[in-house]
Amino acid sequence: MDQAAVIDHQYVIAAYTVTWVLQLGYLAWLGFKWRAEKRAAERRTRVAR
Amino acid sequence: MRPRTKPELFPAQCAGIESAEMKKAAISLYVVVTIALMVWGFYQAMYVAPSDAMQGEISRIIYYHVPNASVAFVFFAVNLIGSIGFLAARRNNPDRAQLFDAWALSGAEVGLIFCTVVLTTGPLWGRRAWGIWWTWDPRLTTTLVLWLIYVSYLLLRRFAAGTQMQTLAAVLGIFGALDVPIVYMSNRWWRTQHPAPVFGGAPGSGMAASMLHPFLWNMLAWFCWGVLVLGLRYRVERKHQENAAEEAREALESRA
Repeated sequence: MDQAAVIDHQYVIAAYTVTWVLQLGYLAWLGFKWRAEKRAAERRTRVAR
Repeated sequence: MRPRTKPELFPAQCAGIESAEMKKAAISLYVVVTIALMVWGFYQAMYVAPSDAMQGEISRIIYYHVPNASVAFVFFAVNLIGSIGFLAARRNNPDRAQLFDAWALSGAEVGLIFCTVVLTTGPLWGRRAWGIWWTWDPRLTTTLVLWLIYVSYLLLRRFAAGTQMQTLAAVLGIFGALDVPIVYMSNRWWRTQHPAPVFGGAPGSGMAASMLHPFLWNMLAWFCWGVLVLGLRYRVERKHQENAAEEAREALESRA
């Protein structure tokens, strides 16, 4: 591989990494939000009892 | 293990358990297929597809950049349908209006994530292909405006208070969706920095089969991934709505 192809490859890896960081970061945030909603529902059920 | 009800004694309950288990199994299967498609798409993009004769290795960004843009457009359309549905149902059928609102919010939020991917992978591609990170080209500018519209939609939902918030957000969602066809057509109407459309552009546009197959695999993979994330976001929002409704009911009961 010549120098230009190596730099191109690094840019491709950077683009793919950014994509996955954004997608998985959002998925993790959704997981936290889901857990918070479930806990709120459980807390309310306990108080109602 | 969870005790199971005897089918002959409680057929209705058993049917409920079985359908819940079937649903769980179907979702698990969908998750496995989606992950497999993502891995396969990555393999196709990095190791099977040839590098472009003009652009070289950097052209491999297309396998993530374009599918993410396409999925973003589809989810902004989900927001549009949800917003129209909410406005149509909010007076006569408030429960159904909440369903539409949950779809609208999910479409906007997940669409925004995909649009953010487009706006970060694009400049990386542009830096190598054009030598610049950004230019005020019509395609880039209209995409940035689209992104800003949906950021403002989410900020409105986050910070506006009162019963009118959902209605205002639905109206903004409808106006925001007007930018989607403008973004799509921008590199057909105005020819500047961004490349001409690969599909459905000028005569002779298109992709070689050796690149088209990896591209289509990635389109399918990203679409499946998007639907999975959209479904999760919708479930979270429905749970949030249930909690909010329950809290409001309890507050009313405690006053009475």
